Amino acid sequence: MSSPRWRKVFRDLTGHPVRTALVVLSIAVGVFTVSVIMGGREVLIREFEADFRASVAPSVEFDTSGFDDGLPKQVAERHDVLAAEGRRNMAMRFAPGEVGKNASTAGWETLQLSAVPDFDRSGVQKIVREEASSWPPRPGEIILEKSALMVDSFSAGDVVTVEGAASKRCELRVAGFAHDINTIPAQFQGAIAGYISMDTLQSLGEHEVLNHLSVVLDPTLSRQAATRIAADIRDTDLAAAGVQTLLITVPEPGSHFLGDIFKALTTLLLVIGLTVLGLSGFLVITTVSAIMTQQVRQLGIMKSIGARRIQVEGMYLALVVSFGVIAVFVGLLAGRYACQALIEYAAGILNFRVTDMMPPVWVMVLNVAVGMFVPVAAAAWPITRGTRMRVVRALNAANEVPRFGYGFVDRILGAIKGLPRPVALSLRNTFLRKGRLALTLLTLVLASAVVMAVLTVRTSMLQTVDDMGSWWNYDAQVFLARPLPSESVEREAKRVPGVTATETWIQAQASLMRPDGTENQGIYVLGLPADTKFIKPELTGGRWLEPDVVGEVVVNADVLSEEPGIRLGDTIRLGIRGVEDDWKVVGVVAGQMMGPIVFVDRKVLDAEISAGGAVTRLLVQASEHTIDAQVRTARDLETRLDDASLPISGSQTQQAQKKTYASQLGILITFLVVLAGLLASVGVIGLTGTMTMNVLESTREIGVMRSVGASHASIFGIYITEGVVVAVMAWMLGAVISWPLSRVLNTLLAGALGLQLSYRFSVEGVLLWLVLVVAIAVFASMLPAWRASRVSIRDAISYE
Amino acid sequence: MTMFGIWMFGGKKRTGAAAGAVAAGDSVATGSGAAATSAIAGAAAGSTTAAGNGAADRPLIHFDSVVKVYDTGEVPFTALKGVDLRVEPGEFVGLIGKSGSGKTTLINMLTGIDHPTSGEIWVDGTPVHSLGENALAIWRGKTIGVVFQFFQLLPTLTVAENVMLPMDFCNVYKPEERVDVAMALLEQIEMADQADKLPAALSGGQQQRVAIARALANDPPIIAADEPTGNLDSKTADVVFSSFEELVARGKTIVMVTHDGDLAARVTRALHVADGEIIEDRRREGAEAP
Repeated sequence: MSSPRWRKVFRDLTGHPVRTALVVLSIAVGVFTVSVIMGGREVLIREFEADFRASVAPSVEFDTSGFDDGLPKQVAERHDVLAAEGRRNMAMRFAPGEVGKNASTAGWETLQLSAVPDFDRSGVQKIVREEASSWPPRPGEIILEKSALMVDSFSAGDVVTVEGAASKRCELRVAGFAHDINTIPAQFQGAIAGYISMDTLQSLGEHEVLNHLSVVLDPTLSRQAATRIAADIRDTDLAAAGVQTLLITVPEPGSHFLGDIFKALTTLLLVIGLTVLGLSGFLVITTVSAIMTQQVRQLGIMKSIGARRIQVEGMYLALVVSFGVIAVFVGLLAGRYACQALIEYAAGILNFRVTDMMPPVWVMVLNVAVGMFVPVAAAAWPITRGTRMRVVRALNAANEVPRFGYGFVDRILGAIKGLPRPVALSLRNTFLRKGRLALTLLTLVLASAVVMAVLTVRTSMLQTVDDMGSWWNYDAQVFLARPLPSESVEREAKRVPGVTATETWIQAQASLMRPDGTENQGIYVLGLPADTKFIKPELTGGRWLEPDVVGEVVVNADVLSEEPGIRLGDTIRLGIRGVEDDWKVVGVVAGQMMGPIVFVDRKVLDAEISAGGAVTRLLVQASEHTIDAQVRTARDLETRLDDASLPISGSQTQQAQKKTYASQLGILITFLVVLAGLLASVGVIGLTGTMTMNVLESTREIGVMRSVGASHASIFGIYITEGVVVAVMAWMLGAVISWPLSRVLNTLLAGALGLQLSYRFSVEGVLLWLVLVVAIAVFASMLPAWRASRVSIRDAISYE
Repeated sequence: MTMFGIWMFGGKKRTGAAAGAVAAGDSVATGSGAAATSAIAGAAAGSTTAAGNGAADRPLIHFDSVVKVYDTGEVPFTALKGVDLRVEPGEFVGLIGKSGSGKTTLINMLTGIDHPTSGEIWVDGTPVHSLGENALAIWRGKTIGVVFQFFQLLPTLTVAENVMLPMDFCNVYKPEERVDVAMALLEQIEMADQADKLPAALSGGQQQRVAIARALANDPPIIAADEPTGNLDSKTADVVFSSFEELVARGKTIVMVTHDGDLAARVTRALHVADGEIIEDRRREGAEAP
C-alpha cells in the first residue's frame, strides 16, 4: 500500500485531467518535434546517403559515338578504375497510348531512354527493381523510373508510343517501375526516364551499340584527379578502340545533383527544429511554474504538519517526472507516425528509397532528455523556491493578489480612459502576472516571428521563381535536332499565327581549359544577339555583351561556383566544336538553375566556329501569353518546322519552364508551410495553457465578478479578450523580429542552394498571421473562458 | 456526551512509544533527518514527561523580547513589540484581541511558521528562532500540532489520508500501523465513517475535527490553533472547543487564538493582545499555574 504522500502525487496527476493534459501536451510538443524534425532529418540524411552510396554513382561519364561490349570490360581492368559499364542512352519523344503513324509529334514529351545490357549485374548506377512484371524487360517492354509517377499517371500494362531520332515510331508496353537515384527526377527536369533491354533497340530503329560509358573511380580522388584520369581513358582506351568521345562529365565526387536542395531542406529542418525545441522549453517552464504556484499553499500545509524539504521536493519531482513519462510516451507515439509521413513525403519528392525508418540512438536519448530533464530543470527553481518559502507566506500565497498599479506599464494601462469596463479589466488582467505574460509572450513572439519569417521566405522563393521567369521573355522555344539555317527557321516561325517576334540562338557544349591542363566539359555556350529581346540579363558584375565585339563573354554565377579560380576580367580558354580560343569575361549574370553557361554574341560565335548561319534554338514571342496560348504556339511551331522538314528535338513554353523552377523550389516551400504549421500549433498549446492557468488562478476573482452581477457572456468575453490582447502583442513584436530573421533564413537557404534568392518581405504573410493568431487566440481561450463562465460563486469562494 | 470521552492520550501504548523514543531514539525518528535532529526529537518526546519531572525553572514555552516587523507595505509595520511569555505544560492559553492586534503573528512565532525579527523563542528547550525551515518542519511535525481557521486539509487526499500524512512525513509508527492509528483518532472524533471521503464532501465542522485529528497524529505535546472555531457556527464551535478541553485534561498544552468572548472565558489563561503587546494576562479563577 502506498503512503498518503504518494497518493497525493497520484491524485494531483489524475485529479485535474485538463491541467495534466496541458502540461503533458506542452512537454510532448518538444518530444514530438525532436522525433519528427531531428529524427526525420537524421533518417533522411542517412537513408539518402545509403541509397546514393549503394547506387554506385559514376565518377566519370563518357558520351561517345558508339562502342561494343568489350570496351567497358577493358576500361574496368585499368588499375585506376574500380568499375565501368556501358549503356545506350537516347533522347526520345513519346506520347501515351497508341498513336497513328502519321500523327504530328507536336506536344509529345521527352523520354530519356537507356538500353541496358544487363539489368541484374549492373555494377554502376544501379537500377533497383520496384514493381515490374518482368525483369529485365522483355523485347517491346519499357520499365519507367518511378519518379515518372510524380508528373503523370502510368500503370503497368500501359502502352506508350516512342519516336527516336530516326523518326521511327514504336509502341512499348510499360512492364513496371524501377528506382534510379542517379536520374534527375521527372518533376525536376520535365522529362521521364525509362529502361529497355538491348533487344528492343532494333524496333526503335537504333543500332545495338552502346554509346554511354560510366566509370567508377576511387571516391577519395579530387575532381581534378578524376578529370585527369578521364582524359587519359579517352586518349588511350577509347581512342585505341576508335571511339570518338563527344562529352566527358566529371561531377563533384560524392555529390548528388539534388544535394543542394537536400542541404537546404535539412538546414531548414535544423533551424526550425531548434526553434521549436526552444519554444517548447519556454512552454514547459511556464506550465510547470504555474502548477507549482498553485501548489504553494499545499506545500505550506505539508510543512506545517512536519514535512521535510527533501520529502516535499521528492513529491513534486515525482509529479514532474510522471508528467515527463506520459509526455515522452505521447510525443514518441505521435512523433513516430508524423516522422514516417515526413520521411515518405521527402523521399518521394527527392526520389530515394528508405529502407530503415529507425532514428539514431542519440535522437532517442535527446527525446528522453527533452521529455524528462527539461521539465525537471524547469521545475527545479519553482520547487526550491516553494519549499524554502516561510510557511506563513506559503499559506497566504493563495490570497496574495499579484500587485497591480505599481509599474510603468500598469500606470499607462490605468491611464487609458474610456474603454468599456470589461475590456479594461481584460487588458489589466493580461498584465497582472507579468512573469507568466513574459514567458507566454516570448513563446508566442518567437513562434510568430518564425512563422512570419517562413512566410516571407516562401514569398521570396516565389519571387525568385518569378524573377527567373521574367529574366526570360519568350512564349515558346524549340530545340532543333541539328544545326539548321537561321533564315529558314525564322522564316517558317514567322508564318505561325500569333508570332510577333523571333530570335535564333546557337547552343553548343563547351570545354573550359583549366591552367593545369584539365578541362571542364560540363559547360554550355549560348550564342545570342547581344541586343537580344528575349532575355533581360540581370548583371551581378561587369557589363553585358556588345554587338560584334570579338573575344568577349559573359558568364553566369554557376560558372564561377564550378570554377572558383575565375574572376571578372579574367581571360578563359574555351574549346567550342573543336575550336580553342581565349575569351575575356566582361560580365557576370545570376544563375538560372540551368548549370554553368557562357554567353557570347551570336555573330561572333558563328564566325568563331564557322557555323555559316546555322542555329540550334528558336525562340518566339507571341501576341498571347496564357498557358494555353503558349502551348498552342509551341505545337504550331513544331508542326510548321516538321512540315518544312526542319527536324526538332523538343520544345518548351515559358510557363512550363517556370513550372520546372517552381517544382524545384516547391519542395522547400511545402516544407516551410508544414513547419510553420508546426510552430503555430506550439503557439496554440502555449496560449491555451496560459489562459487555462490564468482562469484557474482567477477563480476567486471570477466569483466576485459573478457576485456583482457579471453574466456568463461577459466573463466569457473578458477571457477571450485577454487571449486576443496577448496574441496581438505577440504578433506586433513577432512581425518586427521576422524581418531580420527572414533575411538570415533566406541567406542560409541561398547558401545551401547555391542560388541567388530574391528577397521580398511578405506583407500578406504578416496580415495572414494576424488573422490566424487572433483566430488561434480565440480558439485557445475558448475552453478556459468557457470554464471561467461556468464557475459558480460558491465554487469560486471555496476554491483551493 | 463528549466525543473525546474515551480518548486514550497518555495511555499505555502511546506513552510507551514516545518514552521509548527518548530511551532508544530509534522508532520515532528514523530516516535521513534522524541524526541531525535527535536533540529535537528527544526534546519533543521528552515533553510528555516534562510535567512530571518538575523542570520548573524552564517553562515549556518561553518568548523573550520577541519583535516582528513586516516591511512588505510602504511603511514597515511592527506586529509584535517585544513580547515576553512563559507557558507551563498543561495550560490552556487563549490569545484574545482585535483583528490586527498581533495574536496570529504571535502564534505563528510559536509554531515556527513565521520567523521573529528579533528576540528568542524557546519551546521545550529548542531554540525555535534559530532553526532553519527544514529543521523547523521536522521539529514542528513532532512537537506541535497546528490547527488553522480554514482547516487547510489537502483537497486531493481523503480524510484518513490527511490524518496519516504527518506520520508519513515524520516517519512515526510503522507504515502498516498508521491506518489503525488514524482510524482510532477518527473514531474518537466520530468521523470514522467519513474516513474515505474527500474534504470537499465534509461540512466545516467536520473538516475542523479532521484537522484536529491530523494535529494529533504524531501525538505532539503542544497544540497551536489559530481561530479554530472562527469559521464555525456556535454549536459546532462548542463541540470543537470541548474537544480542546478534553485534550488539556489529558495533559496537552494548548495555545489558541480566538476573538470569541464566550470561549475566551473558558480557557485557563487568557492573554489579551493589543497593538503587538500582551496587555493583560488573566488566569481563570480556580485555575492554578501547573
